[in-house]
Amino acid sequence: MKVPIEWLNEFVVIDIEPEDLAKRLTMRGLEVEGLEKLAPRFSGVIAGTITRIDAHPNADNLSVCSINTGREELTVVCGASNISVNDRVPLATVGAALGQDFVVGRRKVRGIESFGMLCSEKELGLTDDHSGIFILPDTVTPGSVLADLSIAHDTVLDVSVPPNRGDCLSVFGIAREVASILRQKAKLPNFTLQAYGDGRAEDEIDLAIHDTNACPRYVLKLIKGISLAPSPFWMRRRITRSGMRPINNIVDVTNYVMLELGQPLHAFDFERLTESRIEVKVAQGSSNFRTLDSIDRPLETGDILICDGSGPVAVAGIMGGENSEITGATKNMALESAYFNPFSIRATARRLGIRSEASLRFEKGIDIDNVGYAAERAMYLMHELAGGTVVKGQREIFEKRESRTIYITYSNINGLLGTHISRDAVTRALRSIDLHITKEDENGFIVSVPNFRHDIGETADIIEEISRIHGFEHIPDTSPVSVLKPQKLTRKERFLNLIKEYCLGTGFYEIINFSFFSVKDIENFLIPGDDERSRYVPIMNPISRDWGVMRTMMIPSVLRCMAYNLNRGAKNLRFFEKGKVFFRESAGGISERTMLCFAITGRQKEYSWKERHPDYDFFDIKGTIEGLMERLGVSCQVGATTEPFLDHGRGADIMIDGIKAGWAGAIRDDILQLYEIEQTIYCAELRFDIILEKGNLTLQYKPIPRYPQSTRDFSFYVDDGVPIAILVEKIKGISPLIVSVGIFDMFRKEMRSVSMRVVFQSYEDTLTDERINALQEQIIGELTKIDGISLRA
Amino acid sequence: MDISGLKEKIDSEVSRIGNIEDLKRVKVSILGRKGLFADYIDQLKTLDKDLRRDAGKAINEIKSWADVRLGELEKHFNDIERQKREQASLIDITMPGTTPVFGKKHPITLTLEEIIRIFASLGFAVAEGPDIETEFYNFESLNIPSDHPARDMQDTFYIRPGVVLRTHTSPVQIRTMEAQLPPVKIIAPGSVYRCDNDISHTPMFHQVEGLMVDKNVRFSDLKGILSIFIHDMFGPDTPLRFRPSYFPFTEPSAEVDIGCVICRGQGCRVCKDTGWLEILGSGMVHPQVFRNVGYDQEEITGFAFGMGVERIAMIKFGIDDIRQFYYNDIRFLSQF
Repeated sequence: MKVPIEWLNEFVVIDIEPEDLAKRLTMRGLEVEGLEKLAPRFSGVIAGTITRIDAHPNADNLSVCSINTGREELTVVCGASNISVNDRVPLATVGAALGQDFVVGRRKVRGIESFGMLCSEKELGLTDDHSGIFILPDTVTPGSVLADLSIAHDTVLDVSVPPNRGDCLSVFGIAREVASILRQKAKLPNFTLQAYGDGRAEDEIDLAIHDTNACPRYVLKLIKGISLAPSPFWMRRRITRSGMRPINNIVDVTNYVMLELGQPLHAFDFERLTESRIEVKVAQGSSNFRTLDSIDRPLETGDILICDGSGPVAVAGIMGGENSEITGATKNMALESAYFNPFSIRATARRLGIRSEASLRFEKGIDIDNVGYAAERAMYLMHELAGGTVVKGQREIFEKRESRTIYITYSNINGLLGTHISRDAVTRALRSIDLHITKEDENGFIVSVPNFRHDIGETADIIEEISRIHGFEHIPDTSPVSVLKPQKLTRKERFLNLIKEYCLGTGFYEIINFSFFSVKDIENFLIPGDDERSRYVPIMNPISRDWGVMRTMMIPSVLRCMAYNLNRGAKNLRFFEKGKVFFRESAGGISERTMLCFAITGRQKEYSWKERHPDYDFFDIKGTIEGLMERLGVSCQVGATTEPFLDHGRGADIMIDGIKAGWAGAIRDDILQLYEIEQTIYCAELRFDIILEKGNLTLQYKPIPRYPQSTRDFSFYVDDGVPIAILVEKIKGISPLIVSVGIFDMFRKEMRSVSMRVVFQSYEDTLTDERINALQEQIIGELTKIDGISLRA
Repeated sequence: MDISGLKEKIDSEVSRIGNIEDLKRVKVSILGRKGLFADYIDQLKTLDKDLRRDAGKAINEIKSWADVRLGELEKHFNDIERQKREQASLIDITMPGTTPVFGKKHPITLTLEEIIRIFASLGFAVAEGPDIETEFYNFESLNIPSDHPARDMQDTFYIRPGVVLRTHTSPVQIRTMEAQLPPVKIIAPGSVYRCDNDISHTPMFHQVEGLMVDKNVRFSDLKGILSIFIHDMFGPDTPLRFRPSYFPFTEPSAEVDIGCVICRGQGCRVCKDTGWLEILGSGMVHPQVFRNVGYDQEEITGFAFGMGVERIAMIKFGIDDIRQFYYNDIRFLSQF
């Protein structure tokens, strides 16, 4: 909300600097987001009086004026038609600067020399009005330097009004807060409504309300014989500075009073109201209604409608109808000032997509006690600006409500805030914002809440008011009195910490992607319809199709991320992401699952002067997973994979206790191409929930063997059909003395040859050669029994 | 027995030593089992007691002296040898070293861990909730009524009517309070979602929510705890202020600002000339929220706070575009 300080000053005396005021409002909860200093954007402009106007001899639409500046008489050629002799006008003398780059020169206009120019408001940067010359008030003395006058200066505060403080959506509302800050009392504008005609409004117009819940107060007043014209400078300037556009005196007054007092008003052409009546109704059923912007609006049950004898003339609180709007021909006008149900207005405004200044205020709740005063204020200003006769009396329906009262104790206040605010200070604080104590006892008091404070309903609301007036900076910093309890890490946190530590130590960069991807990703990865990963959760209102559904797998986003980096010159990447995937379950349920995703491409280092690093292969991704599982105390196996997106020569399922916990391998190159990736990518995706269930982080010391260990190497020919893992398991199963089996060589000539190193260790004694030899024979015996395995001599 | 001239003799032999081989040979000839001293020691046996003692002493002195001389010489030759070897294997120490590979945490994770560390040290436990929430947990239970502007489609991702992507981590407050009785002392980190995508908004971002509920929890405690947090996070001299604000689920509500880290409070573009940066929202739990979870709001009080992790990371690391967090550009990630 934009608040010109010049306007604010009408209700309170602003005797502090604008910056200070802004700071203090901010610390009151009305954050001042901007402070616009309006300074003259011109120089060399002085006030002058027009002493003579002659027609220009050589141009029909120009005139030649004599301007008295108090010191001299200057001739000026002027094109405007709104001037007359004796008008006080701004004269930009020769050399004057207007705006950024316009300098007024002495020049001949159609043969007549002009010593300057008369300026419009727009040329002086005061308003957007360029319809004629700016006529100054008579109080300005000729010769005065315009830049020195107060009309050229102001500061506009841009106040961010919290959504619950509708009462601050007016200059007067802000003035109430400022008055509390400056220990003053905000004063409403003082005026006397005069010029009553003969008749009475009660005899000329009818009013009925069908539902006082929808509209608990409605005031209708009449003014006759008005003439539409532009508003005076002062009003247009305030409206412009508040961020609205001046239109004509009648519309401007309704907007002005709304800005001033927070009460939206609506003007009807009285002659166009059929049967001279207004009825406030709640719509039943659907219909269409043409609003004054010539758009047909669909009305629905529940909308509040203002009707005349023939039907709707306005959508209450939102927009008037074309059929009753004020036109140039309007002479007699009916003015509406009312209170409409905030929820109803909000629902209608939201449905129609209209968020006007008026509906905004109705939605937040206006001051029901101010409805009549605002109507009188508007009548007074209309009469001042548009002439005419205000008809005596008014039509009004007002379903009065009890003012709210709240009981609160001092210990409520100081207990919640952790303060020692005195009774006096509490009373003073509340009184400063019109919350008055009606009854007091030893422990507390009853406070009555004015109707404009829709946000105050219980004790916490009162405490909030006291706290912000007392000032948060005066509330101490304390430590909670409760006992400090150490908080243990959850099992999940311990696992995640270890995983992150592992990734850090093994050279993975952590990435974080959005939780959404595209249905296209599921298609790209050839996920069949009966796979859970095709049961995606769609978003009703996504940002874009690319982010249209919640992801069911991590790898598409991770691939995109790799492509992004590969396109920017990176060649070697090691990425890790921990994130959630989401599935649609039966009966409308949704499940969430935490996943781990690893992806590597290229090689460990692009180059080294010492040695060449080999390109990553399947065993790098497999080893990453094996190392992680070992770290987390999980035993995992690999199995043949059916994942449709993996290269089946280089892919595997990761199994834990016979349950599939994920997969690892190279992504099919035709899928990589869909993500514009040319080089091989090895990935793995793992279910964190299974790891968390099966993992074991227990740390238990085992004695270190006191006896030396022995090793023996073996070489076998192994058929391609026999997985090496079978050999390893077989050997390990032979004796508890065999503590490790490793593969140290593999090559292929006619047959695959594998060399293994077996480590023997006893905890009880030193193993003799005889015992090891026996075990060696046993190993050879057991293995060569398997089809397709023979000992290499 | 004549030992005059012995020292001179040894001296002349030792001074003629030119290399380590000479040294070894001379050492044997003097100190060895059949060396120079062996003769003298044999002769000692023939002397009578008194003479033997004096002569023995004199010989021992010379022998110790010879030991030291030869030892020094040996060290000298060893040093020369080592220098030669080192010279032979000289490397260019300015060639690049072989760095072990190491990974990096995402700056969001770094920031989250830092926030969690501080609150954990103050006794807060980590709690979690689902990303896909019901409107009830995301809004109603938090006193955000159905006609509140925050519930417009333009702010919230809807899965279907009644189900949303959580717009904040505050639903975890409700889930935690429903599941346990006071005292409650939790922080809830997690992803949150809003329909925004521009230089200062991403459709997904991260928040940390905090909640402390007990008997006699005061607004001053909120100030105390958050001041500790900010001074730990941003440094002990960081200026901060609590400013009245509005949230539907707290009352009184306070926004917390820190002195702008860019301009040090002088006013700049980042802080919109205010000298302050907003970093978190907080307040005393609204009585309606307590009623919603069945807590007795006459008996207990509490405070809650919430902060955007990206925002804190941006301030801490000087990042000017929130989207950087989600491009995952290696040139970005490698800086943390």
